[in-house]
Amino acid sequence: MSQSALLSVSNLTVAYETRKGRLKALDGVSFSVSTGETLALVGESGSGKSTIALATMGLLGPEAAISGSISFEGRDLAGLSAEDRRKVRGRDISVVFQDPFTSLNPSLPIGLQVAEPLIQHLGLSRNEAMKRAIAALTEVGLPHPERLLTAYPHQLSGGMQQRVLIATALVCDPTLVVLDEPTTALDVTVEARILDLLDEIRRSRQIGMLFITHNLGVVNRIADRVCVIYAGRIVEIGAKNDVLNAPSHPYTKGLLASLPRLSARDHQQRLAPIGGRFPDLTALPQGCAFAPRCPFAEAKCNEPQPLHPLGDGHAARCWKAEALRQTPWPVPEAPKTIAARAPAMQGELAVRDLSKIYALGGSGGAIRWTRRFGLPWLKIERPILRAVDGVSFAIPAGEVLGLVGESGSGKSTLARLAIRLIEPNGGDVVFNDKSVNKLRGKALKSFRQAVQIIFQNPDSSLNPRRTVGEAIARAVTLHTSVPGKDRHNHVENLMDRVGLPRSYYDRYPHQLSGGEKQRIGIARALATDPVLVVCDEPVSALDVSVQATVLNLLSDLRDQLSLSYLFISHDLSVVAHIADRIAVMYAGKIVEVGSTTAVLEPPYHPYTEALLAAIPLPDPALANRHRTVLKSDVANARADTGCPFHPRCSRKLGTICETVTPPVVEAAPGHNIVCHIPLKDLERVPSVLPPERVTS
Amino acid sequence: MIGYIVQRLFAILVILVVMSMLIFGVTQILPGNVAYVIAGQFATPDVVHAIELKLGLNDPIYVQYWRWASGILRGDLGQSLVMERPVGPIIADALGASAILASCSFVFVATIGITLGVIAAVRQNKAVDHGISIFTYVGISVPEFFWGIVLVIVFARYLDWLPPGGRGDASDSLLTRISYLVLPTATLTFTLIAHVSRMTRSSMIETLRTQYVRNARAKGLPERVVIWRHALRNALLPTITVLAVDIGWLIGGIVVVETVFSYPGLGRLMIYALERHDLPLIQGSILIITAIYCSANLLADLLYAFVNPKIRYGNAVR
Repeated sequence: MSQSALLSVSNLTVAYETRKGRLKALDGVSFSVSTGETLALVGESGSGKSTIALATMGLLGPEAAISGSISFEGRDLAGLSAEDRRKVRGRDISVVFQDPFTSLNPSLPIGLQVAEPLIQHLGLSRNEAMKRAIAALTEVGLPHPERLLTAYPHQLSGGMQQRVLIATALVCDPTLVVLDEPTTALDVTVEARILDLLDEIRRSRQIGMLFITHNLGVVNRIADRVCVIYAGRIVEIGAKNDVLNAPSHPYTKGLLASLPRLSARDHQQRLAPIGGRFPDLTALPQGCAFAPRCPFAEAKCNEPQPLHPLGDGHAARCWKAEALRQTPWPVPEAPKTIAARAPAMQGELAVRDLSKIYALGGSGGAIRWTRRFGLPWLKIERPILRAVDGVSFAIPAGEVLGLVGESGSGKSTLARLAIRLIEPNGGDVVFNDKSVNKLRGKALKSFRQAVQIIFQNPDSSLNPRRTVGEAIARAVTLHTSVPGKDRHNHVENLMDRVGLPRSYYDRYPHQLSGGEKQRIGIARALATDPVLVVCDEPVSALDVSVQATVLNLLSDLRDQLSLSYLFISHDLSVVAHIADRIAVMYAGKIVEVGSTTAVLEPPYHPYTEALLAAIPLPDPALANRHRTVLKSDVANARADTGCPFHPRCSRKLGTICETVTPPVVEAAPGHNIVCHIPLKDLERVPSVLPPERVTS
Repeated sequence: MIGYIVQRLFAILVILVVMSMLIFGVTQILPGNVAYVIAGQFATPDVVHAIELKLGLNDPIYVQYWRWASGILRGDLGQSLVMERPVGPIIADALGASAILASCSFVFVATIGITLGVIAAVRQNKAVDHGISIFTYVGISVPEFFWGIVLVIVFARYLDWLPPGGRGDASDSLLTRISYLVLPTATLTFTLIAHVSRMTRSSMIETLRTQYVRNARAKGLPERVVIWRHALRNALLPTITVLAVDIGWLIGGIVVVETVFSYPGLGRLMIYALERHDLPLIQGSILIITAIYCSANLLADLLYAFVNPKIRYGNAVR
């Protein structure tokens, strides 16, 4: 490397004293970032990657015990006084944090927030600083920057807020920018736009970037070099192409293998998850921290592992790295121990023309004179949101329907409507030819048994004061006729089914990992012997390796118990992995529905095309694949007339899209696209999926 | 926003009407008879009867209420039975005196309370924080009259630095007149400050943990700017609500403090009127206090909207 190191971290260790003992968040981490280079730090939650960001910025609290050196442009930052350290922050090194929705101060205008570092560090006057702020807002692609100066954060969408934060980070011309999961909270189409922006800034400004993420697809899109972190230690480091093409540490192999592949051919193949649990950071072993979860582990792994050089700056903390180069991560067999069950009852769920309208709060709305009971009456007309707008679909027995859409598309509302947790404003849910909305008493109870739900966040859907056994037993008591003395047994059988050890019966939720908690949610849903389970983002709160185990479990259960799923996710690759059919939802409407293979290949609805194209894939050969970038940073920006998608559509025909509701076009039997563009034109669009590659 | 204010003003009007009925009703069932009070201890039944006739005390209660309520609409609160002067000017004088005392106390409660809260939050769990905690809790745990008496004994009796009570009169110098305010204000402030400082402390601690405060530090802003510009502005929102509620406590406290310090304000006037069974004076003062409390809450809500841009600016920028 000819470039000089801009940031060089060596032997960085961060520890906290806890009640359980000394917790090592980071353990001897060393890396460097050069000018104009992007180094990606990859790891799952708890790996310590955000601690690196905070340590670099000098923002760790006084309770953190820090050792090692952080050298920036030849100065050791760790040796600086707090005051000198502050003067570096925001001027020479700046940071963009994960969640744009909470990173801007809600009660200060945007202009001041962007201009603040200029006034503070460069001593500019308020006027000059505002001028520079306008330039910075323009650089990050925000329209009407002058108007934004006096706007407040809540008036902006998430994508725009993240652009404001990037502008703030760049405003003092820093030489290094730390980006801590800058796109994780954003929708995939907005993420694609922000990644494009970051790439462009890196090229035009020649600054160093330390990019922290858990997403290997994003790494592939943005990074030059990659550093994989596990339990506070670097396990693999090297050029992006080397690490992604030839992952050498077993953990890196496992991470890549556990990703569902976005491919029409490979879907529904078993994923290869990483088994076991994330280690306890207060009791890390001397040897490899990953060994307990590693299928290649041997006795020698318990010795301390140095970074093992593999050439060209590529290194892995594994003595077997060289030997394992060609060995892929093993795919587990489906468990055969639990017998398949004949379906107790059949069930088909259909929703017809379902609608849900919400009144928007706030002080907005026109005041109008009306009459009520023949008397004049002052009425405030609040704006309304059509969260779900005339949706119809059917899930035949045994089928998995995937429902994909970005935030605000109405997919969670639809899930709640489908199981009658909330009442619709129009339309009907039909289960086995009976209208669910008319069910009362016993009939409603038997519907509740037949149709169950798994929620997104296992942390908040479990009562922290109930043990695992009690949580599952509750569902058994409420919905089944299992006699009291058999209940314990029944719960243990359910725990077997979802792969929870029986010893967990008396544990509390906080003693469990995220994946284990989600298994409780699944066991609870299965307690009633349902025929259909609504899965509302069941894996989106989980790390990728855990996500793979839960997805495998869900497909195994489906095979064993002949279940149907309504599987809802924002992640098209997850949906494509598990679903037989996919419905794509935009602004409360289904814009395309068809078999998984049909939806993944042309003809596409322009929105499906954009969604597919925006997904960052971890294959270096596809780092800069053709991407249809959508207009606007607002996921689910909606239009009241015509096609709801026309404000963001890159293939808009003209006024017809703005005024006329698009027709349902049958592209193939069972494959419907709601679009004005003639089918033959849609068929000419090339596939945005990667070409099938022979996997080694 | 204007629609909101109109809505609130209408609500206040309804509250005042309902309150006026309640006040009137309650004062009617108070034990004792005004006519006896006026006529004195040795009056004959004939005199009492004549007074009752003159005041209309034998009319049905709704007629009496309407006489009183329609009078208020014309700006006439009635005639004080004991002082034999119109109630309006009597209350106005007392209100003026109380307003000075109340606003001084309120300003001190707000400024000292918020400052102590911020200091306690920034030095969370340190000696300073504990010290402030103890100081404010001591204040709130003991009633006003106790601190009033303690202050009078220490500063007026032993040290003789300050007058023990009263208000002074127009001929006194400004400094002398301020000296009359010191002890009652200190008493009120001391008993009320805990609400404000505890609320500011807890909302400030919460705000200091937010992402935007971390982001402000990451911009390299000095701690002073982070605390006073970025954190406090957001932490103040719950404090404003507490301040509005405190106005109610302040009114309650003022009745006690004015009595202890013989301060001629609305509180003392009410005690006086109650003792002498001067119904129009009681009714008038309570109604005025209700109106003050309602407007204070409206003011707090408007201030809340002003500080919180989410309410001030609803529309999205595209």
